[in-house]
Amino acid sequence: AESTTPESVSPQALCYFSSCSSWLPPRVPPRGSHWQSSLLECRTSLPVRAQPKKKKKVDVKKEQAQKERMKKKLRKLEKAAPELIPIEDFIPPLKYSESNRVRSLPSLSPEESERRVLLLKKWCFFKQKQDEAEKKAIKALVESQQEALQELRLESEELYQAAILRDEGLFPFERDGPTHTPPLPGYDPPEGKCIDITKVYTQ
Amino acid sequence: DALLGCHRSYRSRPTHGIGKFKYLLPKEVPKRKKEKVQMKEISAGTEYQYGDINIQMTSYDLCLVEHFAQYVHRLCNRLSIRVNESYAMPTKTNEVLFLEERGSKMQLDAVLTTHQRVVQIRGLSSTFAPILLEVIQSNQPEGVHLLMKQHTEADFKSRLKSRPELEELLAEMS
Repeated sequence: AESTTPESVSPQALCYFSSCSSWLPPRVPPRGSHWQSSLLECRTSLPVRAQPKKKKKVDVKKEQAQKERMKKKLRKLEKAAPELIPIEDFIPPLKYSESNRVRSLPSLSPEESERRVLLLKKWCFFKQKQDEAEKKAIKALVESQQEALQELRLESEELYQAAILRDEGLFPFERDGPTHTPPLPGYDPPEGKCIDITKVYTQ
Repeated sequence: DALLGCHRSYRSRPTHGIGKFKYLLPKEVPKRKKEKVQMKEISAGTEYQYGDINIQMTSYDLCLVEHFAQYVHRLCNRLSIRVNESYAMPTKTNEVLFLEERGSKMQLDAVLTTHQRVVQIRGLSSTFAPILLEVIQSNQPEGVHLLMKQHTEADFKSRLKSRPELEELLAEMS
């Protein structure tokens, strides 16, 4: 806020004072007149009756200059490319990079390491079988689908065309993952609330 | 200036190429300009193919959701479905408070972080879509919430930082 020192009190403001009693000598206090409330800036004052008309040209120029400045600012801001929000998952927390602690693992006996290797091989084999079964299942699904569509085509062309069209109702598709246990009947959860404390990034 | 600017070196003379030295310096790798984050075109797809589809996986468990996203990505590669992008959405942190049994004070229970991974695919055929859905659903781990939807500009914008100054200026201008 502009401090209303005697020099900053504009000559315009001085002629606003209607009565001599309210006019205070320049050397004194910040508040120029009782029309001027201390909260308002220097130039703005409570409506005074005898207000000379403001020159329109100066205002228009000032407005234009202001608009130009704003446009320039806008152009500068728009030039800067938008940035992606940094993902906290990929930034390791500082406390793990500062300390130099090393984990000392106990040495394994040969039987133990043998057992582990054999277990790993069994696991790999199991996963391979699982993966193969999945691929086989997908292949079988696709084949049966194609066969059905072929038969439908032979039956009627328009039904086939209608079947090939994409399903608009399919997306959006939402599904919750399976839970470990089914929901408890008659469970009364404690009251509470969730507060979102995600860090907001601004450019 | 024309006299000073010309470099006349006759190719037949032995002085040809005198003054050249750039061939002696090590080759400079051209500086790569920072790639601007621009939105790629969103394809709408034809009648028999879906356009850009986002497979969004959300969970509280980071490793699980990462691994599931990797699995989905590899599955799409194997089934020759084009994968546009595979990215992570910003993490959301929630503070869970619960009301104590005897008392009016809220007690802090836990701080949960929600992680989300997105795999964007294009050109999924209408006949294959239900099969893909079936496969993904059967392999969905517990606690991972699956959402498949069309990609929109709003989804892209949600990844970018907000620019309050720009928005303020735009509001002032209009």
